[in-house]
Amino acid sequence: MDYVKAYGELIKKTAGSHPLAARRMIYAGLIEELIRMKIAPKKEMPQALRMLNYQSVRKVYQAIRHPENSCWTNIFAPVEIMQCFGLDCVSMECLSSFMSGFMIEDHLIDTAESEGIASTLCSYHKGFIGGVDSGIFPPAPLSVTTSMVCDGNINTFRHVQQTKGVPSFVIDVPNENSAYAMEYVTGQLKDLISVLEDVTGKKMDMAQLRRRLKMENASKQCYLEFLKEEKHRFYPKTLTLELYLLFVTHLDIGSEDSLRFLRLLKEDVKKYPTRTGPNIFWVHLMPYYQQTLQKYFNYKDDYYIQAIDMNLDYTEMLDTEHPLEALARKMLDNIYNGPYSRKVEKIAQLVKELESDAVIHFCHWGCKQSVGGVMLLREKMQEMGIPMLVLDGDGMDRRNSHDGQIRTRLEAFLEMIDQMEEA
Amino acid sequence: MLGFVCKYAPVEVFEAMDTEVGRISPSVVNFNQADTLMHPNVCSFVKSVLEEVIGSDYEGVILTTCCDSVRRLCDVLRDQCPNKFIYMIDVPRKVNDFSSKMFTENLREMIRAYEDFSGKKFDEKKFAQILERKAEAEKLRKAPEKEDGPRIGLVGTRCSAGVLNILENHHAQILFDMTCTGLSRSFRCGQEDPLGAYAWDLLNQVPCLRMVKASGREKFIDGFKDRLDGLICHTVKFCDMYAFEYSELRAGAGVPVLQAETDSTAQSEGQIRTRVEAFLESVKKPEIGKKKRTVTRTGSEKMYVLGVDSGSTSTNAVILDENKKIVAFDVVRTGAKSGESADKVLQNVLDKAGISKDQLAAIISTGYGRVSIPYADENVTEISCHGRGAHYFNPAVRTILDIGGQDSKAIRLSETGEVVDFVMNDKCAAGTGRFLEMMARTLEIDISQLGPISAEWKENIEITSMCTVFAESEVISLIAQNKEKADIAHGLHNAIAGKAYSLLRRVGLNEAYMMTGGVAKNPGVVKAVEERIGSKLYICEEPEIVGALGAALYALERV
Ligand code: SF4
Ligand code: SF4
Ligand code: SF4
Repeated sequence: MDYVKAYGELIKKTAGSHPLAARRMIYAGLIEELIRMKIAPKKEMPQALRMLNYQSVRKVYQAIRHPENSCWTNIFAPVEIMQCFGLDCVSMECLSSFMSGFMIEDHLIDTAESEGIASTLCSYHKGFIGGVDSGIFPPAPLSVTTSMVCDGNINTFRHVQQTKGVPSFVIDVPNENSAYAMEYVTGQLKDLISVLEDVTGKKMDMAQLRRRLKMENASKQCYLEFLKEEKHRFYPKTLTLELYLLFVTHLDIGSEDSLRFLRLLKEDVKKYPTRTGPNIFWVHLMPYYQQTLQKYFNYKDDYYIQAIDMNLDYTEMLDTEHPLEALARKMLDNIYNGPYSRKVEKIAQLVKELESDAVIHFCHWGCKQSVGGVMLLREKMQEMGIPMLVLDGDGMDRRNSHDGQIRTRLEAFLEMIDQMEEA
Repeated sequence: MLGFVCKYAPVEVFEAMDTEVGRISPSVVNFNQADTLMHPNVCSFVKSVLEEVIGSDYEGVILTTCCDSVRRLCDVLRDQCPNKFIYMIDVPRKVNDFSSKMFTENLREMIRAYEDFSGKKFDEKKFAQILERKAEAEKLRKAPEKEDGPRIGLVGTRCSAGVLNILENHHAQILFDMTCTGLSRSFRCGQEDPLGAYAWDLLNQVPCLRMVKASGREKFIDGFKDRLDGLICHTVKFCDMYAFEYSELRAGAGVPVLQAETDSTAQSEGQIRTRVEAFLESVKKPEIGKKKRTVTRTGSEKMYVLGVDSGSTSTNAVILDENKKIVAFDVVRTGAKSGESADKVLQNVLDKAGISKDQLAAIISTGYGRVSIPYADENVTEISCHGRGAHYFNPAVRTILDIGGQDSKAIRLSETGEVVDFVMNDKCAAGTGRFLEMMARTLEIDISQLGPISAEWKENIEITSMCTVFAESEVISLIAQNKEKADIAHGLHNAIAGKAYSLLRRVGLNEAYMMTGGVAKNPGVVKAVEERIGSKLYICEEPEIVGALGAALYALERV
């Protein structure tokens, strides 16, 4: 039995009767990981990504260690505002994924299901609920989430408000943008600010928010430049690191750390050799733990994953003169809000710009918004002559991904791409 | 006709344009098209609407931005039916002045779109008249007649005709129906800005779970607390929203709550019948003893009753005498025709008892095939019967785990042996006897050997997949890796125990435990479950007859 698994088993055994002890074991695990990264970093990992790796784990460590300074969110929440109050945002997707990293996701998910939560609910939500209700995640002072994109948020956060008393602030984002919608959302952002002022006892500093939005624009610019450069280079990455990018494109966007990292990233990539293998654009989440995918994609360049759409869900620049309106627009015009065709068009555009040769769409267990439209994306890709593979599985619950099935489909697909290249 | 599915759909607006609007009540038997046009894992109600709309001549569909599944339904319908009026109106999730203004504007835009589509014109006066008429009609609505059955409140997502049928057949009184389009809507009339007032009233209905503030639901239920015997929470496969409601009510409603999950197909009534019936029995004890049977009985002769449990893998029978003593019992494998097995078990058990059928004063059937046993006087669900039977064997039992061939269930009993809560898994083979049977076949050993073999395990193997299909290939690959059969069997038993444990946790872990059903004969599973719960399982000599015994106890009550 490998080490992580054994440690996970131990946490699970402890969690039932001593959640606080289990929580401490998780701190210890994260600290150890941080130390290991410092003293024995992975040789194949590029310099910028080492920084990302370290920053990401540290973020989660802080959120669990100092819950009083953190705020629970989902991935689309306007974190820039919470940052102005000194709150670190940690999303439920991220907390869940980290527990899957400790291999205890099954325990948390079973805990949620035993309360009557639907087994067909997205595993990130179930893992989060299980983590909170079992007492492993220490409660944050509040949660701030959006109604758009993912319909699970309202109920998940209402649930933890009921079970653990964490107040839930929901920003209701209409499905489509309009003058009225802008007014409605901006109004809610103002409400949010007064709630945050109450909770923290601090005053909102609009100048700081503007500065953060400027940094956010600069960060985005860096990432886009990186992608341009990466098109023909072999920059060794892993599935996990691709997901860690969500920290800098979402949870921690607008911070100096993120900007520093992205600046380094766009320079770092230039040091790496060129490559010729096919470019793959990935849609939706990645089951980072999955053996076959790791074998083909981690630090490999035969088939190269360029990016996931999740890191590019809003590439527009923000109007720093009108920060609240800019943040409202950012949510309303997110590619996952509104009709699915918006996402299709964006992916089509990215595939063209990034010169991708193929698309892989991952259908994550329980995610209705993404799986429900997969046929429409496929139609568009067919029209563009871009081969597309649909994989079914689970981004974090190992029990819902089947290696045999994924392996067969993936290998057949890669063979198919090879043949197309040859022809 | 335009179809709609949601209580926030602005039906009256279309009526004011002389367009017929009807609620879509899909009755489909499969999702062949929807599974390919969307994905098998979207809400099955949405899939059934897709099947229904594609296969019929609706002029269009009015959807609301209810949930992610509906959002995608709209995308797919637009793609598939370019000539229909497929419209999704954005309904805000908060109710305030901003949102109501926005919603009014959304209504206006929808009206414009429909005017363009149909060439009709919206007349605000006529609209106001329609609202008035409706308000009048609402006043005249009669309260439904009283039934004497259990008083039930319906919550959750829209109820299929199936659930309603079962309730009707059991003379249940439905005190309220809070599911999607269940409550009637009322509107104020004579307003200056009829559309604006209408928008406000729509948003201010008893909220559904997609709204940010849903506390109005609890308050609504509270208003019925004094009269309510139980709540049925209807959920739909792959809709997660209303399981939250179930979880919340179960934790704090103070009345018994049943979750009834269907997949929105025409067959769904069958999927939940046992559950709903058992629930109605548990909130209001079954009234047994209406029909009379003539018994040939001389003064000195003893009286006997029979209980028959017609399960998917075995059919079991127990004869009791008037002192509640077991006179005889028998177990036969259920064949392709459950009627034949029922006849066979009757003959066997009568032979063993040495009595004739005429000496039976009452016969009660139970189990999955309980309605098709011609010689039974009445039937009671296996849930109630297991409760009775377990209490008979061991009055200390509070929690029963029953793992049969095709389903598994956990039942919680009160001190007096009444069923107070139960959960069932009968939707897939995971965690049932069928699962073990298939795995034994893959391992090429006899099912009866699985338990004994597993005792010799050395290496701890974890079987991660619980889906039978996945688990089978997992087992095959373990065999290919040359793993020991004993270790694989041990892993399988742990997997079953894990599933059972989560079932048990849902009714609450209370000692003492009893395990029943065919799988209780497998010492490997028993041991694995005991390890999980950290307590002993009480197992009676013949764990398969507990249900039949319970039925016989019910039969004794009726004579
Ligand atoms: S994967 Fe889908 S369902 Fe899960 S949190 Fe993300 S958007 Fe929501
Ligand atoms: S859940 Fe609410 S929004 Fe959705 S269909 Fe039901 S009533 Fe309408
Ligand atoms: S049943 Fe649930 S998922 Fe389906 S349409 Fe209604 S609310 Fe949405």
